[in-house]
Amino acid sequence: MNKRILIVDDSFYMRTMLKNMLTDAGYEVVGEAANGVQAVEMAESTKPDLITLDVILPDNTGLDVLKSLREKVPGSKVVMCSAVGQEVIVTEAIDNGALAYIIKPFSEEKVLEIVNSALQG
Amino acid sequence: MKSREDEYREMFMDEALESYDAMSRHLSELERTPNNTPVLNELFRLMHNLKSSARAMGHDTIGEVAHQLESLFGLVRDGERQFASSLSAVVFSGLDTLGTMIRAVGTNAALPDAGSLLYNLERVIGGEEIELIAESETEEEVGKKLELSDLVYIPVRKLDKLLNLVGELVIDRDRILTLAEELDSPALRATARHLFRISDDLQYSVMDARLVGVGTLLNKFPRVVRDVAAAEGKEVELNMSGQDTQIDRNVLQVITDALLHLVRNAVSHGLCTPADRVATGKNPVGKLYLSALTEREDVLIEVRDDGRGINTEAVRRKAVERGLTTAAAAAGLSDQAVWAFLFEPGFSTAAQVTDISGRGVGLDVVKRALDSLGGQLRVASVLGAGTTFTLVLPTSIAVKGALLVELAGRAYAVALMHTDTVLALQPAQFTVVGGLFVAHVQGQAVPVVPLAQLLLEEGNEPLPLAVKENLQGTQHVLVVSYNNRRLGLLVDKFLRQQNIVVKPLSKPLDYIDLFGGVTLLGSGQVCLVLDVPALTRLFLARRP
Repeated sequence: MNKRILIVDDSFYMRTMLKNMLTDAGYEVVGEAANGVQAVEMAESTKPDLITLDVILPDNTGLDVLKSLREKVPGSKVVMCSAVGQEVIVTEAIDNGALAYIIKPFSEEKVLEIVNSALQG
Repeated sequence: MKSREDEYREMFMDEALESYDAMSRHLSELERTPNNTPVLNELFRLMHNLKSSARAMGHDTIGEVAHQLESLFGLVRDGERQFASSLSAVVFSGLDTLGTMIRAVGTNAALPDAGSLLYNLERVIGGEEIELIAESETEEEVGKKLELSDLVYIPVRKLDKLLNLVGELVIDRDRILTLAEELDSPALRATARHLFRISDDLQYSVMDARLVGVGTLLNKFPRVVRDVAAAEGKEVELNMSGQDTQIDRNVLQVITDALLHLVRNAVSHGLCTPADRVATGKNPVGKLYLSALTEREDVLIEVRDDGRGINTEAVRRKAVERGLTTAAAAAGLSDQAVWAFLFEPGFSTAAQVTDISGRGVGLDVVKRALDSLGGQLRVASVLGAGTTFTLVLPTSIAVKGALLVELAGRAYAVALMHTDTVLALQPAQFTVVGGLFVAHVQGQAVPVVPLAQLLLEEGNEPLPLAVKENLQGTQHVLVVSYNNRRLGLLVDKFLRQQNIVVKPLSKPLDYIDLFGGVTLLGSGQVCLVLDVPALTRLFLARRP
């Protein structure tokens, strides 16, 4: 069965790009959330294998979302997505249970590599 | 069917333009409320997304501009920068460039060059204060901004021109008003009054358009103070107030260096090291206050420290050594009069004498900047407790409140800024000291000299000795002050107080420094504007 992934990013453009990459590689994208509230809701209802989580979201920071995800959907695997310059938040995210991070702009190769290893790890 | 590339580009365009509009809106909001955290977060997020998307699309220049702006918003959000005028100018120009670049992507046009923008952004992020001169803006750019934002950027020179034109208008208006009275035509008089109101409104509107918050300058100082304090091994707590006080942008520009100088001086010479402070029973952390407030027509900017204060006796000695005064005269000078020496050219550069607390360094430069504006520099100090420098600045440079006095049948104007008080004294109220009339004004002995002697009698020889018998009847004394020094001027009569538009004297008269300029009265009469600093200097040079 294909691994199921939830994408959380406030940019439609980014979500689409990531979705295309993941779908092309055979993953199933079970949902796209544009903010933290949606993210938690969707994670609870779809129980994805992996969540890609943008560090900067409109309603709260990715870090807060990460914490509620860990709380409400225990065992969820999360990789952070971040553009350069947000290393501090990313480090903190890793401390809070995120498995890895993908640096924007997304390179297909890198994305798949990280998603793959996160799903296996 | 569209290729995925085309689809991405369309999505990027849609999202980027939407972000751009949102950011423009937020920026305007931020300008009104510079510390609005939700807005800053939102700007940061939108810029962050734009950066990521642009880079993903391979638009590295857009990505780079967005990256720098994102960093800048981050700094502002984290309180390391203030969203003040110099910074906002760069941010606005950055956002505009982003808009142009995004639209260029949509039309497959060449992206504009962002080299100078990126350079400016890097400097601002690095902590430099830069002044964006709007001169490079073309008409086209200004027009385009109109449809994008409800803010218009106008080069200061255009505002200058507008203000000059209003000045001309006001002079003609006064002339027409006087003519209406002379011709005794009710219709003309009514029209003239209307013209008066409208032009008054116009004048204040133009002046208002030139006002900026003093904060745009003050907000540069936390960084300056931190840097100087760090370099000098001092601990300084900076307190600021009155950032919203409004002042003409050009006035602020002229005093930028002066204020920088005073603040640096206060930290490096006024305040002591933590150890010294503790030794004198003070808190190890020195306090520096920067405040601005409006007082009547003037804006007062105060730089106050709780440092060692000015050693008045050392300044007094130094003034005698430098031949600025005689030992006998120096001994009788008030503290205020002694401190005034600090502003003498020549006094300054050689004053790196530590026992004068190094206060003199370059204060004449500060003084000159203030003089050029028709402003005043005041100093007050208590040895061991601290020093306060007060910059008294005109709110606007074009129109001055002035007192009109009459001398030998002619009207002269004196800026209110330099006018302390006016007195009507009887001859008995004068004494003669050292060949000079002296009157007591608010408990202080003030030398009084007939203005006619300074103005109308040529030559550089000392003034004639004062003879009390020459004073007949009520004497009209205009007390002016300059450089902490008061001087009484005897005039024939006081005419009235009036706002005047000062025009500089044109060649070949412009070298006459006794006159700061000329103004036209409603009667059409030319009225010379007296330059109080120059009059004071002339008095000091010629006093008996």
